[in-house]
Parts: sequence; C-alpha cells; structure tokens
Amino acid sequence: MGKKNFRSIFIGNKRGSRIYKETRIKDPDYISDIPVYTDVKPIGYRYGKEYRVIPEMIPDIIVPDLTDCPLKPYVSYRANVAVQEEFTAKTLFSFVYEEKIKKDFANQKLDASSLPLEPSDAESLSSETAYLEARKTGSDIFSERIPRHWECLELKSDK
Amino acid sequence: MIQYLPYQRKRRTQDFRFTTNRPWTQEFKRENEGLPRSEVFIEPIKDWSIFRGDRVEILVGRDKGKHGIVSQIFEERNWVIVNGMNWYYRRIGESDDYPGTIIRQELPLLVTTEVSLVDPSDNKITKVVWRYTEDGEKVRVSSRTGRIIPVPAAANETYDYKVKSAYLEGDKDTKSDVVEKVTFQPELKTFDMDVMKSMGIEEDRTPKKSYWY
Repeated sequence: MGKKNFRSIFIGNKRGSRIYKETRIKDPDYISDIPVYTDVKPIGYRYGKEYRVIPEMIPDIIVPDLTDCPLKPYVSYRANVAVQEEFTAKTLFSFVYEEKIKKDFANQKLDASSLPLEPSDAESLSSETAYLEARKTGSDIFSERIPRHWECLELKSDK
Repeated sequence: MIQYLPYQRKRRTQDFRFTTNRPWTQEFKRENEGLPRSEVFIEPIKDWSIFRGDRVEILVGRDKGKHGIVSQIFEERNWVIVNGMNWYYRRIGESDDYPGTIIRQELPLLVTTEVSLVDPSDNKITKVVWRYTEDGEKVRVSSRTGRIIPVPAAANETYDYKVKSAYLEGDKDTKSDVVEKVTFQPELKTFDMDVMKSMGIEEDRTPKKSYWY
C-alpha cells in the first residue's frame, strides 16, 4: 500500500445512510482493504415513531481464549489435506450403534424383535427424552419464531 | 415496464489488452486506462503443454533453431518468454542528462507457431500428447519418439516456495502436523448440546410442551 499517514485517511464507521456508503465505495480514493458495511442487521423494531431495541437481537460475539491455540488463520502449504467423506446421520448412527449391534448379534443378545436385551445408554434413549434433552439447551434460534412487532404490543403494558 | 435493476455491463476479456505486464501492476493499468482496444484473437488451446523450465526450440526470427529454457508463461495470449532468446535492446532510466542503461529485453513467442518442445532423448523438436500411465498419472508423451517428457520442477514453483516441502511456515500458518490430525469425535448431541457440554453448563429444567396449530 505504501507509506501513508493513517490519520489523514478517513476509515469511516457504521454510520451514514446506504446511499452515502454506496458513493464512498465508488470513490477513487476508496481503499478496498477497509470494508464499508452496508448490510447492518436490525437490533429491534420500529413501533410508530420510536425504535424499540430488543437486547436479545444485539449480537454478542463470544471469542474463546486463544492463548496456546495451535490453530492459526492460515494453513501451511506443506500440509497434505485429505478429502474426508460427508458426515451424515448414517455415519453418526454407525459410529454410535453399529459396534454394539454387531456384538449383540454375535453373542445372541438380541430378542425376537431384534431389540437389545442389554441396551446401552444410547440404545435406551427414547425419542421423547432425546427431544427434551435437545430443547434443554434453551436455544430457541431454530425452534421458535422471532416475535413480530405487533405481537410485542402486550409488553407495552409491562413498561 | 419499470426496470428495477440497473443495467450492469459485465467485464469481458475483450475490455482488456493483456500484455507481458501482469494485470495487478501499474503498467497494465496505464495500458488499459483509455478506450478499450480492438480484440486480439487467440487460438484456444485445449491442453496446455509448455511449462516453466521446459527446453524449447525457437522456430522463427533471429534465434531460429536455438534451444532455450522457458522462464515465463502468459496463457491469456498463448505466449512464452524464453530466457535470453528473441531479445531486443532498450534503455532504462533515461533522463535529460543521462542516456540510460542499455539492457536486453526478451520478447514473447507464440506457443502454437513460434516455439516447439524439445524431446530430451534426441534434442529434436516434437509434438506432444497427453496420456495416462499405468499408475493413472497424466504425462506428456512425445508423438515422434514415444518418450515421456516430464513436467519440470520449476513449473510448481510459486512466490511462496520452490518446492512445497521446503515451504517455511510463518507465524500465522497452522503447522502441517496439526492440520493433518483428526480430532473430531462424533457424539449423539446437537450442536447446542455439544457447546453446553464443553462449557460445563448443566441444565435440570425441562421445557414445557409447545404445540403448533
């Protein structure tokens, strides 16, 4: 890039309307290494004139402690990166259940309907328990909808 | 009818005149600043057969009949630059008082008509075909003698390394032994459950039943 006095370069921030940011990108002095963010996700909703911030919508970036982490941003050219097969539900099933089933079959520990006589933890897991265990995490990102703003009208009375 | 999308003219190769200056250089930018020049017609080559470090014979010009080593390749123009061949004199650093230093600059040669690969067994020109060996390796075979002409090692050279195994790992590079290690242990857990386990979060409460109507 060459020697530049960084104070004289306007790096910019998230502020500014979309049109302003678009004109900045087309500017000949624009440095493409420093990005201009035009796609900012909302952190709430507009209710009439006011804008209501929902704290849960503000992204919380959690970065783990990276001291002594052997993984770095780039991969060395020397590494022979092997092509791995796709990890499907079938692979997971075979990893968790296959060995036990084969052993039970060999030792005749399966009953008339091919169910195990001595089930392991994974085999005795019912679908209801598994569903509840998965929901215990409390994460509603995939299971529950984000409420629309008109559905939040009830909250107004709480305030 | 209202046109909602603006007309976006795609950038075509004809909009640029490719030269011996690489596209990211200032010289290329200067050459392509003005109006786009007339299109250069290039013969499309299906299997590119000449690589850096190959011995070739020059078929035209002052150096006709001479052998040289390929030092640079420009696939966009079907050009090669043969080291020390097909040169011309030019001056560098000319100014009002200084006449400039005279240097030799090689001119590019067309791969299709002006240059030909040399068979190492008898040092004569030959046409080359790509074939597969018994091991499944794709190799160049001379159509005249039938001898395999191996691709030179200089063809796999890059700015970062001469040979991949000789690459010097930097601070931001993950070491090769770390990359090759497989540490994935499949478990009967969802992604969220796995994160909870690794963070040591324990949850006893069960969520209430919810219904979709």
